[in-house]
Amino acid sequence: AVDDSNPWWTEFSRVCREMNLSIKPEIFSAATDSRFLRAAGVPALGFSPMNRTPVLLHDHNEFLNEAVFLRGIDIYARLLPALASMPALHNEC
Amino acid sequence: RRQLSEGEHPGVTLFRQYLRIRTVQPEPKYDEAVLFLEKIAKDLGLECQKVEVAPGRVVTILTWQGTDPSLRSLVLNSHTDVVPVFEEHWNHDPFEAFKDTQGNIYARGAQDMKCVGIQYLEAVRRLKAEGKCFPRTIHLTFVPDEETGGHQGMELFVKRPEFQALRAGFALDEGLASPTETFTVFYSERSPWWLHVTSSGN
Ligand SMILES: [Zn+2]
Repeated sequence: AVDDSNPWWTEFSRVCREMNLSIKPEIFSAATDSRFLRAAGVPALGFSPMNRTPVLLHDHNEFLNEAVFLRGIDIYARLLPALASMPALHNEC
Repeated sequence: RRQLSEGEHPGVTLFRQYLRIRTVQPEPKYDEAVLFLEKIAKDLGLECQKVEVAPGRVVTILTWQGTDPSLRSLVLNSHTDVVPVFEEHWNHDPFEAFKDTQGNIYARGAQDMKCVGIQYLEAVRRLKAEGKCFPRTIHLTFVPDEETGGHQGMELFVKRPEFQALRAGFALDEGLASPTETFTVFYSERSPWWLHVTSSGN
């Protein structure tokens, strides 16, 4: 669930707010590897940091702008410390 | 020392090198991708583990150990394969990673999802260079065969003891591009559900 009952989502969205990124939670319309991770009990978020980019996956002339790509590195460089520093959760031991 | 294109960010150069590896279905050159990832692991000082889940289908796991092994890990997943191309419809060779004057990089896999794999690696590179370390271990998993349903990739990997040993607590995986300023984040997905309907007429 994408509410405060999911601490990973809480942390993910907090970092995005700090970076002034606007994010919109959605249900994926296709199947990806995340379904196997979730089925194995691992909560997962699907996120590719590409805004201002036409959706061209599987299409001709698929491209990504290098500035968008580089900003994605900045975004992960903020997300990873937050997620990898998540304190122990109640179901962890 | 990484090979640099004139004036180009080294992360972009690495991205374009990865795009030139023809991991295109139906016969992806996975061996080249694995070699490429092993080299990066060495360069970044990450542990590298290979798990062959099916013949010729190797999951490559790059690991940055955390400081508290009692905590579950963060998994950064990406797939290495890409869908086929109809080359005649492309303005540039889809495996050349041509960059135009606006900085647009054209290639099969530019969005889905070689960008993400390299962004994970470049973020780790930056954080390590800054001397950071974190309580939770970070695993970067590079899996084959997502584009054909994951049956020779992630579907098998999650059943392996090597996957259990990662002790994954949370994962990031691919999303989609967004044409607006807003980024989309997917928290669930529709299950594939093929319905076979037989109509016997009247
Ligand atoms: Zn994909």
